[in-house]
Amino acid sequence: MQDTALNQALGQLRPTLLKIARLQLRNDTWAEDVVSETLIAALEGAQDFAGTSQLKTWVVGILKHKIIDQFRRTSREVSVEAAVEAAEAESYEELFQANGHFANPVPAWGNPESALGEAQFLQILQACVDKLPASLGRIFMMREWLEQDTDEICKELGITPTNCFVMLYRARMRLRECLQLNWFGEALGT
Amino acid sequence: MSGLPLRLSCKEAHRLVSEELDRALPLGERLRVRMHLLACGSCTHFKQQMQFLRSAMRRLGE
Repeated sequence: MQDTALNQALGQLRPTLLKIARLQLRNDTWAEDVVSETLIAALEGAQDFAGTSQLKTWVVGILKHKIIDQFRRTSREVSVEAAVEAAEAESYEELFQANGHFANPVPAWGNPESALGEAQFLQILQACVDKLPASLGRIFMMREWLEQDTDEICKELGITPTNCFVMLYRARMRLRECLQLNWFGEALGT
Repeated sequence: MSGLPLRLSCKEAHRLVSEELDRALPLGERLRVRMHLLACGSCTHFKQQMQFLRSAMRRLGE
């Protein structure tokens, strides 16, 4: 790709990158920083981009690494927030009766794979992730979107593995409920 | 051993189904979960939904 064409293509990707970074970092300054670093890295590494993958996929891959670097730099601030979050009372406990069994059964989701092809479903999933409390959203995205190991996440956030598993569990419970309410519930006609 | 009862409640099974996505469970826990899922539709659905959630997350930002 020619330099000018690359510049232009990267410029067009910038708003998308910024949106992703803001969602992840929840801090505009950090988001601007990682996007700038990503664009510089993309320009510097342009010869490595062989055009074998889509430009966007390649640049988002760089962005993920930059976001992880940012997590490492700010792990102290994050861990304080995480500890506060972990102490928060959980409304989903209401799902279970005192004996640990369900108050209401979990319905099947039919054929959820078909939802994956729908842009609207992915928007709802994104909205559900955005609605998570900040520290739950962050740890969940580190695990499921940045695909980091739990060991690595615990270390970066300065939390114990147990705490890490509990937070991921809480994030998943909330997301399940959010998708149930906003997508799958409708499909079931409830 | 994990200190878990032989027969898990749904709440315990849910927690372990989630945890299994983040670490390899010890054999005892894995068998308890499997036993529970054989008998429990709700937790089986939950497990399917957790696996679906993982694959759906890989699609975001693409």
